[in-house]
Amino acid sequence: MDYFEVFGLPRLLGIDTAALEKTFHQLSRKYHPDYFTTASPAEKTQAVRVTALLNDAYRTLRHPLHRVEYLITLFGFKPDGSRVPQSLLMEVFEINEQLEEVKAGRASVEEVDSLRAQIKEKRERFDSELQQASIDWDELIKSGAAEAKIQAQLAKLTEILSESAYIRNLEGETH
Amino acid sequence: MPKIVGIDLGTTNSLVAIVEDGTPRVIPGSDGNMLVPSVIYFDEAGTVLVGNPAKEKLIEKPRNTVFSIKRFMGKGIDDVRDDLPLLPFEVSPESEHIIRLKIFGRDYTPPELSAFILRELKRNAEAALGEEIKNAVITVPAYFNDAQRQATKDAGRIAGLDVLRIVNEPTAGSLAYGLDKRKQGIIAVYDFGGGTFDISILKLSEGIFEVLSTSGDTHLGGDDIDETLIRLVLGELEQQPDIHQLQAIRKAVNKTKENLSAADRSEIVVQELQYRRSITRDEFNKLIDPIIERTLRPCRQALQDAGLKPSEMDEVVMVGGSTRIPLVRQRVQELFGRVPHTELNPDEVVALGAAVQADILAGGKRDMLLLDVTPLSLGIETMGGVMSKIIPRNSTIPASATEMFTTFIDGQANVKIHVLQGERELVKDSRSLAQFDLKDIPGMPAGMPRIEVKFLIDADGILSVSAQEQRTNKYQSIEVKPTYGLTDEQVEQMILESFEYAEADIEARLVIEARNEAETVLNATSKGIADEQYANLSDGEKAEITAASKQLREVMRGNDHQATRQAIERLSNATMRLAELIMNSAIAKALKNKRVREIQ
Repeated sequence: MDYFEVFGLPRLLGIDTAALEKTFHQLSRKYHPDYFTTASPAEKTQAVRVTALLNDAYRTLRHPLHRVEYLITLFGFKPDGSRVPQSLLMEVFEINEQLEEVKAGRASVEEVDSLRAQIKEKRERFDSELQQASIDWDELIKSGAAEAKIQAQLAKLTEILSESAYIRNLEGETH
Repeated sequence: MPKIVGIDLGTTNSLVAIVEDGTPRVIPGSDGNMLVPSVIYFDEAGTVLVGNPAKEKLIEKPRNTVFSIKRFMGKGIDDVRDDLPLLPFEVSPESEHIIRLKIFGRDYTPPELSAFILRELKRNAEAALGEEIKNAVITVPAYFNDAQRQATKDAGRIAGLDVLRIVNEPTAGSLAYGLDKRKQGIIAVYDFGGGTFDISILKLSEGIFEVLSTSGDTHLGGDDIDETLIRLVLGELEQQPDIHQLQAIRKAVNKTKENLSAADRSEIVVQELQYRRSITRDEFNKLIDPIIERTLRPCRQALQDAGLKPSEMDEVVMVGGSTRIPLVRQRVQELFGRVPHTELNPDEVVALGAAVQADILAGGKRDMLLLDVTPLSLGIETMGGVMSKIIPRNSTIPASATEMFTTFIDGQANVKIHVLQGERELVKDSRSLAQFDLKDIPGMPAGMPRIEVKFLIDADGILSVSAQEQRTNKYQSIEVKPTYGLTDEQVEQMILESFEYAEADIEARLVIEARNEAETVLNATSKGIADEQYANLSDGEKAEITAASKQLREVMRGNDHQATRQAIERLSNATMRLAELIMNSAIAKALKNKRVREIQ
């Protein structure tokens, strides 16, 4: 059972998180191990497994980024976070140089803040790109688009994830 | 359904509680106290005392009176090296993976020592409830790692308890506060105890307590405040104190700390060293401010992880004895911009909450549900000593993750997986949890086997691992080597050994009970000899009372409770006629008075 199936949802990226939470609470009340204390060992184990799956699914689907990451793996795609984004080659080169200064403790507070702002601005650019690509995905699926178009869109989502993963790592290093 | 008790196994004090008729209450010990000090005393003869009687031995018998053992749970010697200079214990050389305290030539691990406390709580509950107690919920600091949780569960098993759930202390605190009466809201629980600090941020909706984030420090508590004061005293002494004096200082500063929660000025008085020093609350505040500051960093981290601002809290709840300190309350109030809840006794909140959770497990309360999280990220070692995270911190538990493994050499039969906990990038900066050795992999060329390994963190926050080879569908056998802690076999062995201790415990109890009774009989005898009726006894009778009293006084000092019982019997027989005479004369007097009144 995949995470979308756990919640009875189609493989779409637009999810009403308030409704998701409600379902999560309803299913938790049904399967949580706390309600199986007096059950047989087999039922207890089952309750733990089912609840773990439910929790994993909720954790993944409620977060827009993790939701996309999970969706593409269902179709056999995998982002590569170690690759430098082609569209940002020069800028990334500069950012890395500045990051070295920060790490060596040679940067002023203002320089660190400015670097963080730069990285954040780029990350947010990816976020909005991903948001748009997610909307496009839902449109394609709902309109019953051809297999080739779906594959192309999956490749695009993967590409955005790979590039944003690199920026996210940089962002992590400045905190 | 047999009764399930809730246990707060604390650094300083431990409590047991139960829900009856929908209301949680703490069960007192035989001495009427709600708190059982987490102190264990051993004597040469193998007698073990727990709680208040043990606490009295802290100064007199520092080497064999164990306290604050919770700080050692799930730890190796390297984890606690900094603490040892201020502790009077002898640590066994074999303490690399699990600390062993040497007491009268025998090694004790922290789970075995904690089991003594649990057994005492179990007995208290059994005495109060009139039935055998086998099931318990035990609380642990939210920030406890896998090894510390497992150690707590092991302690329960050694004590003969089936630990149905390990519950996080701050979460238990929120349950006790009955905050479910409000339908929605965000709650921060600030739990500052004797040895540990936790912060948890919860979201409450329609009876579901969902933990959003948790953070903390399992080595930060009232003990650190005491140690700061101990160092202050040590700095003012001319000579190095011995361990008895060190314990006397510990006791003195602890009292001063408690006084300063109510008074603006107090004194540190150590009779044993003829040391006396005045201290104001301002001075005290200055000394402990760095410690309180250390609690605020996890608070900010938890808020950030929950994606919330301090002002977004609807309630702030204080748990743990150290929250009695005025500066702690002030700092928490400043951080969250609201007055925290302090209505419930901070020493009892966690035990009461544990009882509420026990009641949920017993099927008593289905409208409430606790959804807790794992405090630390779980990862595996990958190439280059890098830790690859597979379950992030603050994931709701139970939680799981699946990873694929394969072989690097043709016909390779074993694959080792090193599992870690923590937030750092490198293996060397993370906490090693265990080595899992996948065995008997079907013989195949390198890279061919597809072994799916499933990591499952259960509702107690404890990891289990299963593995299946995908081509053959064969479940792999796994050998687990916990890095810090006991193997299943070791726990079994300790359970067996604990039976003889359970017997020793009963022996000690019988000795104490016999002594108490002997004292009662001796007191009654003294009163009888003072009575005017004593003169009516024969010389032979008087001589027998004197001899029997002397014998009882001698044997009651030893540990032979049967001999004490026999001597009590002899003295009782010897004083029988005296007792009769006194009784008759008392009745005669009472009747005489009555007649006088009737006549009137």
